[in-house]
Amino acid sequence: MSHLFDHHGAPGKGYAQPKPLLDASKLSLPDNLVRKSLPRWPRLSEPEMVRHYTWLSKRNFGIDTGFYPLGSCTMKHNPRVNEVIAQLPGIADIHPHQPEHQIQGLLSIYFEMQEMLSICAGMDAVTLQPVAGAQGEFTAVRCFQEYFRHRGEHQRTKVIVPDSAHGTNPASAAMAGFEIIEIPSKVDGRIDLDALRAVVGEDTAAMMITNPNTLGLFEHDIAEASEVVHGVGGLMYYDGANFNAILGRTSPGLMGFDAVHYNLHKTFSQPHGGGGPGSGPIGVKQHLAPFLPTPIVSRREPTESEQEQAVDDFWYTWHEPEHTIGKVQQWHGNAGAVIRCWAYYRRYGKELRTMSEHAVLNANYLRHAIHREAKAAGVDHMFVDGAETVVAKHEFTLSLAPAKESLGISAMDVAKGLLDMGYMAPTVYFPLVVPECMMIEPTETESKDTLDTFAEDFAKVLQVDAETLHNAPITTPVRRVDEVYAARNLCLHHPFDE
Amino acid sequence: MVDQLPNLGREKEMLQEMGFDSIDALFADVPAGVRMNEDLPLPDAQSEEELLADAKRLLGSNVALGDKVSFLGAGLYRNFVPSSVFQLITRGEFLTSYTPYQPEVSQGMLQAMWEFQSLISELIAMPVTNLSLYDGSTAAAEAITCAVRVHNRKAEQKNTVYISELTPPDRCSVIHNYCQGAGIEIKKLRHDENGLINLDDVANAAGSCAVYVEQPNPLGIIDGGYPKLKEIIGEHTALIVAIQPVSLGLVEAPGNYGADIVVGEGQPLGSPITAGGPIYGIFGCTKPYLRLMPGRIVGRSIDVDGKEAYCLTLSTREQHIRRHRATSNICTNETLIALMGAMHMSLLGPEGLEELAIRNMAACTYAKQKIASIPGLSIVHEHQSHFNEFAIEVPDSGKNCLKYLEEKGIIGGFDLSWWYPNQSNRLLLTFTDQTSGDDIERLSLSLESWVKEVAA
Repeated sequence: MSHLFDHHGAPGKGYAQPKPLLDASKLSLPDNLVRKSLPRWPRLSEPEMVRHYTWLSKRNFGIDTGFYPLGSCTMKHNPRVNEVIAQLPGIADIHPHQPEHQIQGLLSIYFEMQEMLSICAGMDAVTLQPVAGAQGEFTAVRCFQEYFRHRGEHQRTKVIVPDSAHGTNPASAAMAGFEIIEIPSKVDGRIDLDALRAVVGEDTAAMMITNPNTLGLFEHDIAEASEVVHGVGGLMYYDGANFNAILGRTSPGLMGFDAVHYNLHKTFSQPHGGGGPGSGPIGVKQHLAPFLPTPIVSRREPTESEQEQAVDDFWYTWHEPEHTIGKVQQWHGNAGAVIRCWAYYRRYGKELRTMSEHAVLNANYLRHAIHREAKAAGVDHMFVDGAETVVAKHEFTLSLAPAKESLGISAMDVAKGLLDMGYMAPTVYFPLVVPECMMIEPTETESKDTLDTFAEDFAKVLQVDAETLHNAPITTPVRRVDEVYAARNLCLHHPFDE
Repeated sequence: MVDQLPNLGREKEMLQEMGFDSIDALFADVPAGVRMNEDLPLPDAQSEEELLADAKRLLGSNVALGDKVSFLGAGLYRNFVPSSVFQLITRGEFLTSYTPYQPEVSQGMLQAMWEFQSLISELIAMPVTNLSLYDGSTAAAEAITCAVRVHNRKAEQKNTVYISELTPPDRCSVIHNYCQGAGIEIKKLRHDENGLINLDDVANAAGSCAVYVEQPNPLGIIDGGYPKLKEIIGEHTALIVAIQPVSLGLVEAPGNYGADIVVGEGQPLGSPITAGGPIYGIFGCTKPYLRLMPGRIVGRSIDVDGKEAYCLTLSTREQHIRRHRATSNICTNETLIALMGAMHMSLLGPEGLEELAIRNMAACTYAKQKIASIPGLSIVHEHQSHFNEFAIEVPDSGKNCLKYLEEKGIIGGFDLSWWYPNQSNRLLLTFTDQTSGDDIERLSLSLESWVKEVAA
């Protein structure tokens, strides 16, 4: 083991800095605010620091390490040129308060992204400020709230979410002050239109839903659902978590949605190692545009004096929407993520549709291959499809309930068995409507060979006896981690000698 | 031509094996009424070379702070991030991972984040720290809603929180958006003429849910009154202090003078400014807030063999389990940037942090001395201690001053009328470890010549 806090080099020798402009004795602080003892941080030289973090990295699994079919998370390859671009001083060394004429290049990219995202989702206006999908959701429902307040419809206090929705949907709406109405989905996770009709009314503010749904199935009744909600004066919100499945094939706008968030870090691959950063812009139809966070980028013809600094035929400016909800992040969102996602988009351009087609192709192929290999190995009785369907979209679910019932092998056991085979495990136990659920999303950046090999290995794991699987994984840096112990014996920082 | 798809050219083979004749068949479940039938009206795909050329042209047209002499800060600070941090962060095992749902293969990131918690806990003197929130503003907002959850039941002033009147409007707007849903009323605390918080006014906040102040405050002042705040507001009102983390190499940690929750913009440790994101928000608190706090937390545990191991813990606060009753909606956060912070802190060590704080404060103090001697200009709150920045009052509009400085190749600071509309002749000037003596010389000479020009 390598422990950061085990390094105790000589004070100040690890990392040399230039001399200060004044001696420390010339600086004055209020007496009661002079720090009495420095933080008990470790002391490392650069070679030690590099080795520590390299050691840690080797104990971590990323897309670069191997296949990462984590359903709902769209773990696709991160092109490295995007990292090179994001380190250019023209983005890394930019301050959000710099005047517009100093950042025309950045503003033009913001504008291009606003336009591209509007086009892809069939929306009329976009803000790039929200920094994560959940923050996009929150931003959108705040816009809904102000929209209704503006119209004097104060009674619209309820937001409807299907029980198969991502947890962030109800959490975001509740944070904005809405009451949550959860409606049951059908067995395939799809909307139950009757259940929806039963709860909508004058108090309905919105319905939040993702499509394809969390089982990877397209909501074929989506236009009807939009009609039901619009029929009572409510708004439709599209959770863009699964946008990777439909780009260029359909759009939230065509389905009747009023607002959408994009998980740029998923669909457009901002690396989000360990859980972030992300970027969660939202797009809205015209009636909601005046409520968007401020500022968004607009453009006009440059004046004569501006010509010289213009990057193209336009002059880009920050613009405050008329009834803006204000800000959800203090600056201009995760600009560095927006730039990377712009770079990602530029590699596809009008062929973004091909990206989604390959995501769906790969998911369907993997589903097919898993059934094929399981059948060949005689283990196809151990699982069933999470929902019956001819085609899935970008992901699909399997239920390990038969294995659990007959052999006591759970979805978690299979997940841990897959870790031993050198894979990241699929998402397990979500969505809740599928018992012993495994949610598998290969993404478009995996080769047929990888998918075939994974399918073979999946079947191999199902041939392992229950006891061995209960004990899996055995080849990983640690074996099953005791989460109950962690919660009962809270140790949230280095204990020193306390 | 797209080049990122391994199965380009193999579509037919894969489709045939599944028994489909075309890609269209895979989208047969999309009803005709909602199908997109035209191509996306977007430009052609670019190769890496073409993209890189465009990126260099567009981003290269921006004026980077380093292209000029810059004194713009106001919440984000130019810093030097050691090269090893950039090299290590692009290791694919870190860069391309995600939330460690499978701890057995995520020990590297989990341990690194537990170490991050340890480093931040020590820095701010708080027993509990999370893995990061989005930025300083959302950390402040989440701290306030957290404090209300904890204290509202016993509070005499229900759903009420007091924040410093100097809090920048952008940050206030974020706070408002996060708080309005819970019906939280935000009241302002006055500052005296000398820039320090008015302690009599703070007394009015006793019995509310929380008091929120910043140290250094938005004008760069280190406020010696803060150590008295906790005693004034009492144990049932949370003291929330926002910090600039580098300052804590010299300035006492808020945990040591009564803070219950400490938040801040983590950016100066580990991250370039990057136009304001991705950066990371610091959030730490004392134990009474633990179970109602936002964000992910790593705990040290053991595996089935009793071996040291790390995992996410106290997840029942979070949205994926608690849904609409979660303490926050946050899911994706800023872990990778927090990791850069941890790497930077590891290299600095305690004395390195102190040195860095000295360099920042020395640049600010040196500039204050220089600028104080310019006739016709005055330093606002000159006799206070300043860290990183101070406000000056100029004989014409701040806007005109900035314009003049720009002609001299200087990004001259922040026009305070953006925050405080009645302060049109004040600028906030920022100095960091990246400010040289020559930079300050150039600034003061230019300011001096501008003042003369204005007077003429």
